[in-house]
Amino acid sequence: MARVYRIRHSEGMNKVLQRLQVAQEQISSAGKKPRGQSVSCAVTETCESAPNPVDRPVEREDIVGIVEACRTGDREAFRALYDIHKDKVYSIALYFFHGDTTVASDVTQQVFLKLMTSIQHFRGDSEFSTWLHRMVVNACVDSSRRKKSAPAVFDPAKLEMFANKASQEDDLARAQMTNSVRAAISALPPQFRIAILLKHFEDFSYEQMAEALHCSLGTVGSRLSRGHKLLAERLKEFAGGRR
Amino acid sequence: MSLFRRSPKVSPEDIERNHQMLESLPLVEAPDAVWKSIERSLDQQRPASMATWKWALAAVVIVVSSASIYWVASQQKPTVGWNVARVSGAPMVNDRLIHTEGRVSAGQWIETDASSSAKVKVGEIGSVEVAPNTRIQVVTTKQTEHRLALARGEIHAVISAPPKLFFVDTAAGTAVDLGCAYSLKASEDGSGVLSVTVGWVSFQTHGVESLVPAGASCRIRKPGGPGVPYFPAVPYFDDASPALKEAVDEFGLTKTSNLDVILKEARKRDTLTLWHLLSRVDADDRAKVADRMIDLTPLPSFLSRDLVLKGDSNTLSRWKDELMWTW
Repeated sequence: MARVYRIRHSEGMNKVLQRLQVAQEQISSAGKKPRGQSVSCAVTETCESAPNPVDRPVEREDIVGIVEACRTGDREAFRALYDIHKDKVYSIALYFFHGDTTVASDVTQQVFLKLMTSIQHFRGDSEFSTWLHRMVVNACVDSSRRKKSAPAVFDPAKLEMFANKASQEDDLARAQMTNSVRAAISALPPQFRIAILLKHFEDFSYEQMAEALHCSLGTVGSRLSRGHKLLAERLKEFAGGRR
Repeated sequence: MSLFRRSPKVSPEDIERNHQMLESLPLVEAPDAVWKSIERSLDQQRPASMATWKWALAAVVIVVSSASIYWVASQQKPTVGWNVARVSGAPMVNDRLIHTEGRVSAGQWIETDASSSAKVKVGEIGSVEVAPNTRIQVVTTKQTEHRLALARGEIHAVISAPPKLFFVDTAAGTAVDLGCAYSLKASEDGSGVLSVTVGWVSFQTHGVESLVPAGASCRIRKPGGPGVPYFPAVPYFDDASPALKEAVDEFGLTKTSNLDVILKEARKRDTLTLWHLLSRVDADDRAKVADRMIDLTPLPSFLSRDLVLKGDSNTLSRWKDELMWTW
C-alpha cells in the first residue's frame, strides 16, 4: 500500500526550495532556530550559490516555509505549493467525477483559488495537506450539488478516454485492470468513493481523514469498510467478465 | 462491537486485494491550462487603478475586520452556558439546587450525591449524564472546545460531532472524543476506567495516547511521580479472557510476568491490546509482542518488522490503520 508518487519539480518550485534552503542555512549559521517568519522573508530574495535541490524530497519544513511565503502574497511560493499538490488534487477530482476532465480542472482551480484567499486562516494546528484536502472534499461536494440537474453517472466513454492516454505504454492486461479499477471506483457511492481516493492518494491516517471529511473516526472506518466491500464485489465482477 | 459495527464485513484478503489493484490507478498530471486559469483569475482580482485599489482595500478591510471580530467573538467567547436537567434526587450547580432545569457556565461545578443524577446538554454536540456521587466542573463552553473536568464519580457521554471537540480531564489524563458514546469513571486519586460503547475515544496522558474503540475499556491511573514506574493505559476488549484483562490491568506493576499471560491469551482482535503494548515495552519485549501479533495477523507486505522493532512511529501508525479492520 505504500505509495510514493514522484513530484516533478518545476523551475519555480526549485527556485523557492533553493531560497528556503539558503534561508535555513543562513539562520542556522547565525545560531538562530529556523522560524517560519524568517524563512518567509528570505523566500523573496534570490540566491545563486545554493545547491540545486532538484529531486530533493519536499520536506514538511519546506511546506511550512512555502505556506508562510504564500501568506505574504508571494506568487512564486504559491506556484510551488500548487506544483507540489496539483496532481493529487486533480487526480482525486478526476476519479471522483468519473473521468470528467473539465470538472476535475474546475475543482482543482477552485481549490487553489480558495487556498490563495484563505491561507491566512490556516492556523497550522492540522497538517497542511489535511487542511487542503478538506477544501478538495468541499469543492467536490459543491460541484456534485451543482451537477445535480445532470447527475454524474458512470460514463465508460469518459473513463476510457483518459484511461487510454495514461496507459499507452502499459501492457494490455495491466491497462485492462487499470480500467476496471477506474470503473469500479467510479461506481462507488460518492461518500465511499472520496474516502477510498483520499486513503489511496494521500495515505491519510484515520484521524486525518476524519478531519478532511469532517466526520467521526467511526464514520471514516464505516465508509472505508463499505467502500472496500463494494469495490471488492465490483472488481470480482470485472474479473469474472473478463474471463 | 467493532469500528465498523453496522458495516458489512469485509475480509482482510479483499482489502489487501483492493489495495494491490488500486496500485494500478495512476496519478494524473493536472493540465497546464489549470494554472493559466488560476493566474488569470488572480490577475483579474488586481485593481484597475490605485484609487480603486485603495477604496477596494478599505472596503475589504472593513468587511474582513467585521467578519473577523464576529467570528472571533462567536468562536472564542464562551456561550452563555449549557442546560442541565435533574434526572433524580437533588443535583447541585455551584451549591445551587437544580429542581427541574438550570444553566451551568464555564467554571461552575455540578455535584450529585448518592441519590441524585443530572443530564447536561453539551452545546449542540451531545449530552452527558452525571451519575450519583459525582463532582464535575464545566471548564470551557466554546464552539471549538467543550471541556469538562471530572474530579470524581462517573459520567456517560453521548457525542455526535467531528473529532476533538469534546474533552474530559481527569487526574490521570484527558479523554478526547473522536465521535462516540462512552462512560468514564474516576476517583480522586486518579484511578478509574474508560468504557466505550460507540465509536472511539482517545485517552491521553503526558503525550501518550491510548485509542479505545467501541466494546473496549481501559483502566486509567495517575502517574506516581518521579522514580515510580508508570505505564499509560492499555485498552482491551470487554470480551477478552478474564486472565488477559487482569494481566493488562496489572501491567506495569509486575511487568514481565504479566506480558507472557497477555501474549498467551491474546486473540486476533486483541491485537488492539498488543499494538498499544508495542510502544510501551522495552526492546526485548517489543520483539515478543510484535511476533505474537504477526502470528495472529500477518504483517502487511508494505511494512517492515525491523521498523516495528525500532518503534518507528510512522510504521506503527500504518500497522494500526490496517489492524483497525479487525478491531
